[in-house]
Amino acid sequence: MMFDALFGYNYTRRKLLKKTNSTVMQEFLSNPFPDKKDLITNMDIVSIDFETTGLDIAKDKVISIGTVNIGHLAVNLISSSHQLIKTKKQLPESSVVIHQITDTQITDAMSIENALPILLKKLSGKVMLAHNAKIELGFINKMCQELYGSDFIIPVIDTQYLAKRSFERQNKVFKSNELRLFNLRKSYNMPAYKAHNALMDAIATAELFLAMVSKIASNKNACLRDFLP
Amino acid sequence: MEIELIEIRDFIALYPPFNILDENALNTLPKKLTIRYFRKGSIFPDLTLDNKNLYIIRTGAVELRNQQEQLVDKLSEGDIFLSKDASDKTSNEIKGVCVEDTLVYLLGFEDLFLLQNEFNDFDRQFNFSVNERLRHAVELSHSADMRDLSAMKLEVSELTDRQPVIVDAVTTIQDAAKLMTNEYVSSILVTNNGKLVGLLTDKDIRTRCVAKGLGYDEPVSSIMSTGLETVLDKTLLSEALLLMTRNKIHHLPVMKDDEAIGILTTSDVVRHLSANPTLIATDIYKANSVDALKKISARLPELQLQLSLSSSTAKHIGEVFSSITDAITCRLIELAEDLYGKAPVEYVWTAGGSQARNEQTSHSDQDNALIISDELQPEDEKYFENLSSFVCDGLDACGYIYCPGEAMASNPLWRQPLKVWVKKFTHWIQSPEPKALMLSSIFFDLRPVYGTFSLFTELQNNVLTQTKNNEFFISHMVGNALTHQPPLGFFKNFVMVQDEKHKNTLDVKHRGVVPIVDIARVIALDNGIKATNTVERLDYALKCNALSVEMHDNLIDALEYIGSLRIRHQAKQIRAGLDADNYLPPEELSGLEKNHLKDSFSIIKTMQHFFESRYPSARIR
Repeated sequence: MMFDALFGYNYTRRKLLKKTNSTVMQEFLSNPFPDKKDLITNMDIVSIDFETTGLDIAKDKVISIGTVNIGHLAVNLISSSHQLIKTKKQLPESSVVIHQITDTQITDAMSIENALPILLKKLSGKVMLAHNAKIELGFINKMCQELYGSDFIIPVIDTQYLAKRSFERQNKVFKSNELRLFNLRKSYNMPAYKAHNALMDAIATAELFLAMVSKIASNKNACLRDFLP
Repeated sequence: MEIELIEIRDFIALYPPFNILDENALNTLPKKLTIRYFRKGSIFPDLTLDNKNLYIIRTGAVELRNQQEQLVDKLSEGDIFLSKDASDKTSNEIKGVCVEDTLVYLLGFEDLFLLQNEFNDFDRQFNFSVNERLRHAVELSHSADMRDLSAMKLEVSELTDRQPVIVDAVTTIQDAAKLMTNEYVSSILVTNNGKLVGLLTDKDIRTRCVAKGLGYDEPVSSIMSTGLETVLDKTLLSEALLLMTRNKIHHLPVMKDDEAIGILTTSDVVRHLSANPTLIATDIYKANSVDALKKISARLPELQLQLSLSSSTAKHIGEVFSSITDAITCRLIELAEDLYGKAPVEYVWTAGGSQARNEQTSHSDQDNALIISDELQPEDEKYFENLSSFVCDGLDACGYIYCPGEAMASNPLWRQPLKVWVKKFTHWIQSPEPKALMLSSIFFDLRPVYGTFSLFTELQNNVLTQTKNNEFFISHMVGNALTHQPPLGFFKNFVMVQDEKHKNTLDVKHRGVVPIVDIARVIALDNGIKATNTVERLDYALKCNALSVEMHDNLIDALEYIGSLRIRHQAKQIRAGLDADNYLPPEELSGLEKNHLKDSFSIIKTMQHFFESRYPSARIR
């Protein structure tokens, strides 16, 4: 990730592409990502959210993946998808309660070996959007290392980071609670979605991002760069 | 469908026109949507981006204005907006601005067309013009046929409104009593192998079980009544009543195809008969005192409730109530004549306002006037004062409260010989001052009720000759008629009114009914039309080409639609034991009803613009 900051994600992408023998990774890395100077209005962005058995990337597992595409600053629900992931680990009760996923549902699920290539295909050449993206990034990176022996790279827009930056730029004191998806949405006059699953959260994040873009005065000229760390 | 999109589906399913879609169409709909966000203050819709989309407001608010910058609508959660095809040059220039941060769901025209093809009712929402949508709504609300309310022609099945409670003959008395308690019934049917064998009432349990000390474990067959008289569902109420009286029975099982579908009880019959207009009228003519009339008029709210439940039209209900007020008035005059003797000279009692127009409901003020023959002598005046006070006091006792503006025969101003009336009207017509115009809604709607009708006819002919084609007077009347403006529509649960704060309730009378009534009156005076009823006035207006067919039909539909909502609102209040009023809270309305009301308002608006442009001087006032 250090190279990323120094030379840019497309540089890292090309480097990883040269190194990897995995066809899945080769396919993912062969499409160039948008340039930092590209306009956000025309950009293809994939909003993603994972539900996991916990927050420890080393031990925990992904149990569902929700994605939805943004194009021309509109969320296209036709692209929405929700994939449950098979896990051998018993689901802890807390995650059952939060995500309303039970072991029975998990049996309809796909193995991560089958699901990850599908996800990578969706993300190839795109910008990834997530709320508190380090969770999703961390899990994808770990899975890519385990399954394909390669690191993962993608330009990432993180709505939580954007909110934090906005508070800091305004010298506003804020509580960590205010950075939660639910509370941020409320401040943008957005409906509170009751359901908590990976897809609804991916959609909620996508909507929040549209709101954040609209708040930038010159949003018609906003570039990807303006949303990256 | 992705189960995760249920939340979006459930939102859309709440609002018209999507609420008429079937399960399958609703389930596939979310996937066809795109989501956009509009910052507060941004132009809506974003014309640089699309269009050809249907917009569904998810959260936020959008104000729509016409070219004159007048507010024409305000959209909020669940409202829809159809973007105009950019190639459509005929479209009106409506500009939208988001007044709150707004999240919208968009449905492309192609998907919209598919839904229109598949669902007729859905199609109607978009393809039909405002008036056609409204007409359809009026038809739907009256799809139950207008029933003949003559009690004797009613079939018994129409009075039995619940399924009978049925037990088997071996059921114990105690179990049967428990069931009757839980079901809130005083009688149940008893069957043996599915065949009706008996009937058990509260009274049977009291007299044949408890009083006799019979065990509660005995079967109901030991105390039930057997050898039952029954009637068929198609039996006329009159026959059933005869059967009950002849056999001194209070319960009659109602059968259909060998199966019991209900129990007709004497209280059902009484309840129905007491709220029957014909019987009420008969009772009025038999009443011998103001007190007796007062008791009868106490039944009127129940009558309004029954009529509105039987899906009578607002027009019909108005006619029924006005004729009852006529009957009570006539009876009071007869009682006054019993007291004070015959009148010294000829006179006519006339009703004004809604009674004259045959548009009353159970809750109305009294408006009336007395036209006396010009042979009136000063010494006769006391007689008419006594008569008028007696009748007006009597009407007030019967719930027709005194007119707040004193437009009553008990007021000497409105108890005058014909020649004075002619002078009054001439003055009003030649110098239409604000006060005269205010009275116009009462005295330009007059109808004779009792006495020498020719006195009224003479006055009416004189008045109409003066008003007919009287440009000066008519333009004043138009100006007056335009003072009551319909609302723009609804925003959330508020009524939107041009240039005013939103209101919590809709005054259906002044914002909906009155504007149409006022315009119909102007047309009547302008064209010398004698009718007082608004629908009849509009019908005549059509005949003498004062209105186009389209405007005529639209106004009648709007009047009936608004009237029916008013009647329903009042029925609800009556059922809750409240006094009926004209203030409709928007939360009482469904989304579709709000849309139909909005259509009605826009019809009224169109009509007002039409008259405004025809009488330009009216606008100044």
